[in-house]
This record gives sequence, structure tokens and C-alpha cells, in this order.
Amino acid sequence: MTTETYSSNAVERSRLNNRLRAMVTQENLITLVVALIVAGAVIVPLVVLFVSSFKVLDPAGWDTTWGFGNYVTMFTDRIIPKAFVNTLIISSGSTILATFLGVSLAWINARTNCPGRSYLEPYNLIPFFLSPFVGAIAWHNLGEPQTGLLNNLAREVFGIEGAIINVDNIWGVIWVTGIFFAPLVYLFVVGSLRRMDPSLEDSARTTGAGLFRTTMTVTLPLVMPGILSGAIIVFVTSAGEFGVPFKLSAPYGWETLTTQIFSKAVGDDANHHMGAAMSMALGIITVFLIWVQQRYIAPRSFTTVTGKGFRPNVLDLGPWRWVAFGYNIFFIMVAVVLPIVCLIIVSLHPVWTGKIVLADITTINYVKTLMWWHPEAISAATNGIGNSLILAFGGASISMVLALVISYMIHRTKGFGVRMLDFLSMVPIGFPGIVLAMGVLVTYIQTPIYATLWILMLAYITRFFPYGQRNISSIMLAISEELDQSSRMAGASWFTTLRRITIPLLKPGLFAGWILLFIIFLRELSISIILFTTGTETLSVGVYYLTNFENEPLTSALSMAQTVMLLIAIYAFRRLAGREALTA
Amino acid sequence: MTMQEDTGAYLEVQNLVKYFGNDRAVDDISFAVPKGAFLTLLGPSGCGKTTTLMSVAGLHAIDGGRIRVGDVVYTSPSEGLFLPPEKRDIGMVFQSYAIWPHMTVAKNVAYPLEIRKVNQSEIDDRVAEVLALVGLTAEADKLATNLSGGQQQRASLARAIVSKPRLLLFDEPLSNLDLKLREQMRVELKRIQNEVGITSIYVTHDQSEALVMSDEIIVMSKGKIEQRGGPVEIYSRPVNEYVSNFIGVANLLKAKVRDSDGSGQGVVEVSQDGQTMTVPCQIGPGIGAGDDAVLSVRPENVHAVREGNGNDDVEGEVTHAIFLGNYVDCRVKWGDFEWKVIAHPRTRLKAGEKVFLQFDPEHTLAVQP
Ligand SMILES: Nc1ncnc2c1ncn2[C@@H]1O[C@H](COP(=O)(O)OP(=O)(O)O)[C@@H](O)[C@H]1O
Ligand SMILES: [Mg+2]
Repeated sequence: MTTETYSSNAVERSRLNNRLRAMVTQENLITLVVALIVAGAVIVPLVVLFVSSFKVLDPAGWDTTWGFGNYVTMFTDRIIPKAFVNTLIISSGSTILATFLGVSLAWINARTNCPGRSYLEPYNLIPFFLSPFVGAIAWHNLGEPQTGLLNNLAREVFGIEGAIINVDNIWGVIWVTGIFFAPLVYLFVVGSLRRMDPSLEDSARTTGAGLFRTTMTVTLPLVMPGILSGAIIVFVTSAGEFGVPFKLSAPYGWETLTTQIFSKAVGDDANHHMGAAMSMALGIITVFLIWVQQRYIAPRSFTTVTGKGFRPNVLDLGPWRWVAFGYNIFFIMVAVVLPIVCLIIVSLHPVWTGKIVLADITTINYVKTLMWWHPEAISAATNGIGNSLILAFGGASISMVLALVISYMIHRTKGFGVRMLDFLSMVPIGFPGIVLAMGVLVTYIQTPIYATLWILMLAYITRFFPYGQRNISSIMLAISEELDQSSRMAGASWFTTLRRITIPLLKPGLFAGWILLFIIFLRELSISIILFTTGTETLSVGVYYLTNFENEPLTSALSMAQTVMLLIAIYAFRRLAGREALTA
Repeated sequence: MTMQEDTGAYLEVQNLVKYFGNDRAVDDISFAVPKGAFLTLLGPSGCGKTTTLMSVAGLHAIDGGRIRVGDVVYTSPSEGLFLPPEKRDIGMVFQSYAIWPHMTVAKNVAYPLEIRKVNQSEIDDRVAEVLALVGLTAEADKLATNLSGGQQQRASLARAIVSKPRLLLFDEPLSNLDLKLREQMRVELKRIQNEVGITSIYVTHDQSEALVMSDEIIVMSKGKIEQRGGPVEIYSRPVNEYVSNFIGVANLLKAKVRDSDGSGQGVVEVSQDGQTMTVPCQIGPGIGAGDDAVLSVRPENVHAVREGNGNDDVEGEVTHAIFLGNYVDCRVKWGDFEWKVIAHPRTRLKAGEKVFLQFDPEHTLAVQP
């Protein structure tokens, strides 16, 4: 009797053991661990930010009470409501400009016989990879009324009185943000323009519509979902952009939400709870817009039957193609060439007065910002270079590993929690870096990782790993799952399959994603500016320090150093990823 | 061959030449179409049909020749004339239908009228009328992407004819449809074209489509015209081996013209694996006594009989006979050559039998190689 009970218990137990063992596979364990890490990294800062926004600091700055005070202040404050309006104006203006530029350039390159269009395309995309903050610094030196290079040239060469342009205002912010984000819109529309069935346009032509009418009533409406997606992304990105308004408008009386959040995060005026409330406000707007884009606009792209045959599907612009060419070159001039040339010129002067003085040309600014061993080196700059390289290498690598595992889980294992994971890895895309950084700041300020590079690394990865994940996911969807399954059939474990089959197949995509993140991290400003402390400056923080506390030539020198590093990375990206990686 | 008199033709294409790089996609083509006629360009893929059609539509510039419709010269490079497509007043139906996915069916169809600034009430009337004609009244307010292939094709046709253009162009409009729908649409398309009476050029690689629909057919190969004529003429009087082979099924043998009376009657000699036969036949254009030729006989024009009646008969062995109800599909071995023969079911031919083949001189052709 007792033995019987015993044995039946034993059977029970071993059955349970088997089930447990079946669940505790390499695969499920890793899924669980990763899901927990991602949930922690993404959700915790947002929750803490939310809670923190309801703590109101008393006037003395000692104690806090619970309440809606911070949200009330947003409407009653002297500056914040104006900052709201300015942010709206800047985002709207930049969106209009970037959409116009991006769509017209994509149309010229993809649909017309503009001369040299395939050579121009990579240069049209360069601003996408460079730092808008540096762009603002360069345009400040080009278009400042007294010391701006263009204004001085106009005075000297054409004898014009006063200034021809002034970019130190809200229009300057729109101008710089618009030209730097134009490639975003470009990338959203160029693929569908290229793939469009030419007979859709041909049939409009044969029914009697001219070139212009065909473009306006057929071509553009067909890519409208792409245009709208691009426009929304630009709007959201502009709203979260810190560097450009910080350089061009805040010092002259046009504060924005981001510059206000910054002033609440650091400095004399610091009030993290107020900053949290403003971050919540900004975050809610951007999350809503991104949600609209993902839910309603992205799925609405038109699919059409494509005819056979290979007519080259470009429009003959006749003599107008030279106008298109000139327009394209003009964009490259204002977005890439002029800013870089200006930075080089300014960086070679000991002080910048707006005039090129050949006799004064010096490399001292590069010595001070790059040569850390030099006695006159400025540590904010030299630290920044080292820290940014560490963050970019480490952050890109960790992000890609995380992205790989998550994509794998989403597209291959389809186990429990996968939908949750898919959602979690979308969330950070909805929040501007500065908002997420505020969340990370209030969450970890009391912990030992505050004031280390780790907090920066954590915030970088949390905010940007989704880009890597989408990069890998899109390739993974294109690779047949059967390739993996045959490896499992052949007797390989999940991990061996990942190492021997999946990763090698994904290699080109992994590299492309890695470099993209490397580039993003190397120029990152709006997270770093919230989370850095002395010793953990990054490249862009170094630029910020120099522009704030030193002079324009030093700022330009470090900006050039950053730009050169980014250009090298862009070159590597194009070599590895090819042009399809971005525009497909 | 009934060459159309060029004067008085409504559409006239003269010496059309179009290069892609160094390749002549269209190599000196001329033809003319009377008003209201339905002309088909027929040929295998890559022979230059689409290129010819695009040249008429103005979707690309041509390198030589002249295209005129009515009293309007569409293009003539030597005179420096090029009318852009939107000025040519044509309707075109594309292989991919090219229905604009961001508009409803009614909007698609109304588009040409809106371009022509027709007033709204007339637009509504015309659109309703044309949609009824193509049988899409119920689908008027659907988005184009919600239509089936056949419906998109109808919508595309409605859009092409709504403005009553001078010319209708079709580029393999039925080739994306499945067989059954294709056969049904052929008849329907032809009915609608008849009803609206617009001069049409139709491009296809499908010979049965061409035979069913056309008033006239132009058979093309490698950018050139091989033959032009009505469906019956093209089928029963092909001028060369290429056309005989491309249209329908034919027994084709190398031959030499023995005798030709100059009015189309004659005798050819065929040698095959040591055996020789002389066949009285029709002599096609461009060949005379002593020339090399190809003997072309349709399977239904070969008569297989058990009892021969003269030394002109060909004696062969039935290798197989497949009973298909209303006819028997036979192969008859004669030397190396296997004749395709369609026999009457009453003959009850069986594999292994010896038969004699007889030819009706009226339906036996000698054509250019
Ligand atoms: N846009 C083009 N560029 C270069 N060659 C072309 C182009 N379009 C057609 N061709 C060539 O011209 C020839 C005729 O093509 P096409 O008129 O499309 O043939 P079809 O419509 O009879 O199938 C083919 O050899 C094709 O390769
Ligand atoms: Mg074709």
C-alpha cells in the first residue's frame, strides 16, 4: 500500500520534472530574461517619470508634496506656454520645409532624368547622418548678422549694408531643422516612387493630363502615405530636437519645450519634477503622433500590379532637367558643403570676427580639443571624444545583440510574451531622447550608476535599440524560417543554430544596423545633455561646453572632428550596406 | 494580299524606326488603319509590339518615320514634330490595368473628362453611361484596389473610352487574366469597341485572341512586319514559313518550286528521306519556278484514306490516332517526317495502319522560307 502511493507519487513527480525540463529550454530561458530586461529598461523610467511629475517642489526647494501643481504651472508660467507655442511653430515649419525638400528631391532622383541623379543621391542623404546641432553651429557662423560669413561676404563683395540673413531666431531653427530632416522624408518616399508602375503615370498622360497635372494628381497621391509618415516623423523629431533651438533661438528669447526641460534638469533653476511634467506633456504628444503613424498611415500604402517589360520609368524633363539639377546642387550646398566649409574656416582662426584672416591661420583649436596630452587641452572636449567612442562601440554592440535576440524571439519562437515584447520595443520610438533621459535621470539619480558612463549607455540603448531591431526584423522576415528549422532537424541546438545559421544569414543587416547605431551614438546630444556629469561628457556635450563657455573657433574644431568621424562611418555604412539598405 | 491604299487611311504610320541603344526595336514599319477598324499587332514577346504602340501614344520619342491620325501629325522627327501624349487624344488600356488605387472607379473614369473641363453634370452622365456599357455600375464607388482583375480591366477600358478619343490603344490587356475570363473578355471587348466605333490598335502575343477580335492583323517579328491581312487571310494564306508556324498548326516541309503559272497556281517538289513527291498547290507571293520554298498544309487539309488513287499520293503509316469525339488527331509517318492529320471520326483510323495522304491544291500552299 505505502509502496504503491510512493511509486505513484514518484511517477507524478517525474512527470512534473519532465514538463519543467521541457519548459526550461535555452530558448525559453533567454526569452524570459530578455523580456524582463527590456520591460525594466523601457517601462521603469517612464513610470517613474509619470509618478515624479506629480510631486510638486515647495518654493524653498526642500520638500515635495503630491499634486497637479506642475501641470498647472505649465499654463501659468511666464515662459513655458510660449515655449510650447514656439515648439509647435518650429515643428510645423520644419515639417513643411523638410517635406517639401524631401519629396521634391526624391521625385527628382527617382522619377526624372535629372543629370547625375544617382551620383547626387548619397550627398542628398548626408545630413541624415550628421549632427543637426553642429549644423546649427555652422549656420550660426554663416548667418549671424555681425560675424556671419555670408553676411560679411555680402558686405565686402557686394557692398551691401547690414545683414542679408539672420539665422539667430525661430526661422533659423526651422531652416536648419528642415534641411537636416529632409532626408527622413526622402527615405520614406523614394522607394515607392522607384517601384511605381510607370503605366499609372502613362495612363494619366494619355488621357490628356500634362506632366505637372500627372505628378500632382497621380504620382504624389500614390506616395501620400509615405509622405505623411515622413512628415509625422519629422514633426516628432523636430519637437524633441534640443541642439538647434539651444544654439539658434533660446539665447535670443525663443525657448522651446526641450530647452526648458534642459534648464529644469541641470543648473540653478533645476526642478526635476517640473522637468518630468514637461517631459510627460511632450511625450504624450509624440507618442500619440507616432501611434497614428504606425496604426493608420504606415499600413495604407498602395499595392499595384506591376506590368512586365522594362521601360525606363523616368520622366523626360527636357531643358527643365537642368533646373532640377541646380536645385539638387543647391540643397547639397546649403545642407552639406557650406556648413562644413564654414566650420573649417572658423576652426582655423584663433578668434572669429567674421572675416577670413589668412595671416592668423592656426591649428591651436585642434590642439586644444583633440590632443589630450597637451597642457592646454580642454578636458570636456578630449573626454568627450573618448567617451563617445566607448559609448558608440559598446552601445551599438549591445544594442545589436539585444535586437538580434528580440527579433529572433518575435519572428521565430512565437512563444509566450512575444507580442508584449514587440510592443515594448516600439515604445521608445515614441519618446524623444530628452524625455526618456529625464525618466532615466529621475529613476537612477540615487543609484551608483548615476554619474557614470553606464547611465548614458543604458539610456542610449533603451532609446535606440528599436532601430536595430527593426533593421534585423525586416531581414528576418525575408529569410525563410525553414533554413533554421532544417538546422534543428539536423540535430543542432537552438543556440548552435543561431550561431551557425541565423547570424551568418543576417550578417550584412547586422553590420548595417551596427554602423547606423554607431553613427547615432557618436552624435547623440539630447540624452547626453541631461545625463552627463564632469568626466562623462560626450562629443556633442563637448561641443555644447565649448559653444557655451569657450569660443566659436574651438567649437568649430571639435564639431569638425565629430563631422569627420561621422563621414568616415557613413562611408563604411555605404560600402557595407549598399544603397538598398536605406532606400528600399 | 490586300494592301490598304494609304490615302484615306485614318491612322498612318510610315517608316517607323525606334532604337534602344544600338538595337532597332522597331525597324522601318509602315501601316495604315481605316477609321473605326480594329487592328491587331501580333507577334512573340520582344518583337517590338509595345514599342510600336508607345510610339503612337507618344510615351517615347521615335528615331525615324511619321505618325499621323486624321489630319493631325503626331510625330515626325525629320520635321521636328512631337506632340506630347496628353495632346494626342487617345485612350489606352495597359497590361497592368493602371487603375489608380487612390481613386474610386467612378473617379478613375471621370478623370479624362475632368482634364477636358467637361461640366460636372455631363461628367456624371457620361461616367454612368460608360460604366453601364462595361457592366460596372454597381462598382462605381468602390476603391479600385477592391476590384477583381477582370473588373479592373473593365474600369480601365471605361476610362479609355469615356472621352471618345480619336484612337484606342490596347497593350496585352487580357494577359493577366485567367483563361476563362480571357475568353469571355475577348468577346466583350470587341462588342464594346464595335459599339463605340473608335479606331483601335490592339497588341497581343496570343494568336487566337488576334483571330477572334481583329478586322486586320499585322504579324511581326524582330521589329519588322511579316504579313498583314484579315484573320481568314492570315490563317489560310500565310506568306511565309514564320507566319504559317506562328498562326495555328501547319505541316511544314522544305520544297522546291517546279512550276508556277504566275497566277498563283503551280507545282512543288518535296524530298524527304529519299522519297520524293510532287504536289500541285497555291504558290504564294515572292516565289517563282526554281525557288526554294516551304510547303505549308494545315492538318485539317490533309486527307488520310486507305485506298490510294494515283502516284501523287503519299503513302505513310499511322503512328498514333487519338479519338477526340468530333475528330481524330493522327500522326502519319512518311520517311523522317511526321504529318499532323485531322481525320473524320468515320474513317476509324488506327495506329499501325498504312494510309495514303491526299492534298487539295486549293488548300495546299507553297510559301517563302
Ligand atoms: N526601355 C527599353 N530599353 C531598352 N530596350 C528595350 C526597352 N523597351 C523594349 N526594349 C527592347 O526592345 C525590343 C522590343 O520590346 P517590346 O516592344 O517591349 O516587345 P513586345 O511588346 O513585342 O514584347 C525588345 O528586344 C526589348 O528588349
Ligand atoms: Mg509588350
